[in-house]
Amino acid sequence: MITVKDLHKSYGELRLFKGIDLVVRKGEVVVCIGPSGSGKSTLLRCINGLEFFQQGEIDIGGIELHSINRVRPSRADDETLRKVRRKVGMVFQHFNLFPHMTVLENIAEAPVRVLGLSGKEAEERARALLRRINLEEKVRRYPSELSGGEQQRAAIARALAMRPEAMLFDEPTSSLDPEMVGEVLAVMKGLAQEGMTMLIATHEMDFAREAADRVVVFDRGEIVEIDTPERIFTRPRAERTKLFLSRVLRR
Amino acid sequence: MSRIRRIILCAVAFLVLSGVVVPCLHAESALGMIRKRGYLLWGVDVEGGAPYAFPDPRDPSKLIGFEVDLAGAIARELGVEVRPVQNAWDSLIPALERGDFEIAMNGIEITPQRESRVLFSRPYYIYTEQLVVRKEEAAITDFGKLKGKRVGTLSGTAAQTMLEKIGGVEVRIYSGQVEPYEDLATGRIDAVLLDLPIAAYYARPNPKLRYAGEPVGEGFYGIAVRKGDGEFRDRINAILGTLMQSGELKRIYEKWELWDKTQERLLKQNTSPDGYVGLEESRKAPLYTFLPALLKGAAVTVIISTASMALAVVLGLALALSRIFGGAPVRSVAAAYIEAYRGTPLLIQLFILYYGLPNIGISLSPLTAAVLGLGMNYAAYEAEIYRAGIEAVPRGQMEAALSLGMGRSLALRRVVLPQGFKIALPAITNDFIALFKDSSLVSIIAMVELAKTYSILAVSTLRFFELGLVVALLYFAMSYPLSLLARRLEDRLKGAGK
Ligand SMILES: Nc1ncnc2c1ncn2[C@@H]1O[C@H](COP(=O)(O)OP(=O)(O)O)[C@@H](O)[C@H]1O
Ligand SMILES: [Mg+2]
Repeated sequence: MITVKDLHKSYGELRLFKGIDLVVRKGEVVVCIGPSGSGKSTLLRCINGLEFFQQGEIDIGGIELHSINRVRPSRADDETLRKVRRKVGMVFQHFNLFPHMTVLENIAEAPVRVLGLSGKEAEERARALLRRINLEEKVRRYPSELSGGEQQRAAIARALAMRPEAMLFDEPTSSLDPEMVGEVLAVMKGLAQEGMTMLIATHEMDFAREAADRVVVFDRGEIVEIDTPERIFTRPRAERTKLFLSRVLRR
Repeated sequence: MSRIRRIILCAVAFLVLSGVVVPCLHAESALGMIRKRGYLLWGVDVEGGAPYAFPDPRDPSKLIGFEVDLAGAIARELGVEVRPVQNAWDSLIPALERGDFEIAMNGIEITPQRESRVLFSRPYYIYTEQLVVRKEEAAITDFGKLKGKRVGTLSGTAAQTMLEKIGGVEVRIYSGQVEPYEDLATGRIDAVLLDLPIAAYYARPNPKLRYAGEPVGEGFYGIAVRKGDGEFRDRINAILGTLMQSGELKRIYEKWELWDKTQERLLKQNTSPDGYVGLEESRKAPLYTFLPALLKGAAVTVIISTASMALAVVLGLALALSRIFGGAPVRSVAAAYIEAYRGTPLLIQLFILYYGLPNIGISLSPLTAAVLGLGMNYAAYEAEIYRAGIEAVPRGQMEAALSLGMGRSLALRRVVLPQGFKIALPAITNDFIALFKDSSLVSIIAMVELAKTYSILAVSTLRFFELGLVVALLYFAMSYPLSLLARRLEDRLKGAGK
């Protein structure tokens, strides 16, 4: 579903990725862990085209991101980019709900404007999603009237409304109060059980252990280790993985 | 006593005092003061002031003109020097009353209205009005053929009164003497009626223009002094008499090609034409008689400001978007536009647009030039306001929209701009109110809007104070609802989300 090959990415002088490889198969849940600044967000942002990269290949269900000209994109390049983003939904650390729209409008906006659904179809789709995450009574509310957990669940619903084939989560619970983390993770677990392909950056180790098919450990722009959660958390091979785990698990 | 009654009483008291007190402010006699000081202060407008008084083209630090020669002769007879004081022609009389100078002499026609405020000397020149048309003009042969035509003249002149008396003439009011002839040459107006000395200097040498018919009307230029300076005025009369007897005045006029048979009658006109009481009609007329004219001016103000604001909003948005999202060349063009328009005065931009463009064959109507000038200027400010608003929207908003598969322009339109607009709204309102008041600047390109209407009425009736209050009230009545509307809009947007 998602194939990353020999990815090189620099921010100006800073050479972050010097050749990264990762494959996420259909229906797989892959969790990225690692210290802050190790490149987890950057990888996710490269995969849905918010960042461009200097070298390497990214293939999303047959669409090649690396063949897009990002400096002078043609019409076809723009269209390819949009196609990738329709296939891959993204959930952000800070939710990024549209503050001037109600929850319903937030969710229905893209299905109407991008997929060309009628207002009615989009609303039905939105209501069905909200019902599944127990947020239906908040359809007419504005984001500022919702709790952090509710906002993040609404943001997940917004991404799901596009019927993506895979979902990217960039630290979805990091800006939540502790008591709200659970409700968001529950929604994500539900999704995983339904067979959604997911690539998740998080600091929630318990979640990684329970929900992940495989865990990817990042450090300073390198993938240190990829393995099942079981092996990563009980018998890590790399020194850097041990160091990282000992630091986060002690807390 | 209620607060409102007290405010009204204060206002009335102020009105009464302002009418009565002014002439009594100068206790010492003008003559005594001039002698003691050693020089005479002479109020004059030298901007476009040929052949009366204007900067010498060969040495602009020096003033020349027939009135400069005359003022010099008078001062010499008084045994002092003369110092010109530059003052807008429209407000020479109020400035004289205020005590800015002792005499006002600048082609000021002796009229009953003016005589109710100042004392005039015996006439020093008999003027007539000369109609000027374009060389190829066939229809307008003389003063009688002006109905339905666009005729330019100066604000507050006898020519203006004559034109208004005909009725059915579209009178265009200018504040300088060069501009009406410029507009005539480019075809924006059909004729110009102005005092003969002005026509002789500006129109006669212009190959595109010619005189139409004989001079019409007749009146006197007089030297104005403050009421209460009777003794000083008598002294000036005596000096003028001497200058006429000795032939010096004739020599001055001949030098400036202003001498004609008419001027011979100056000798007989040896008293000031006061003595007959001014009609003072317009001075006594109740304020509401001016209301139709003022409301018409207000309507023009509203039209100009809304049209130019509409232009500023659209152009400003295009500039802001080019500046943020455009490619390098587009970005620098937008930035250059903004810097150029913000870095130069609106007044100059209007002048270039209206009087400059005809030089390269583009002649805009006053309304078009006004709307374009204001709109293009304010677009630069709007652009910066929008840019600040757009850039204040968190980056995550654009990214979230893109990640949902929206294109850049769709994301901009649906997600970023609405939020940026909300942030920018207070600044936009401010800007619109400022534009609204700046619209008074367009009067320099022959647009008669509210401020210009005021100055025309105030100059001809000399009722600067009461009319000023009325006009200020009108401006406020138009801009205040705007603020209220903006506040309501802000509140509504605030209701929608954080
Ligand atoms: N837009 C950017 N410009 C410059 N450097 C960046 C940018 N985004 C991230 N970086 C740098 O890249 C590195 C990886 O960042 P990030 O991918 O956010 O890590 P993580 O998500 O694992 O915390 C960090 O050193 C960060 O400072
Ligand atoms: Mg991150």
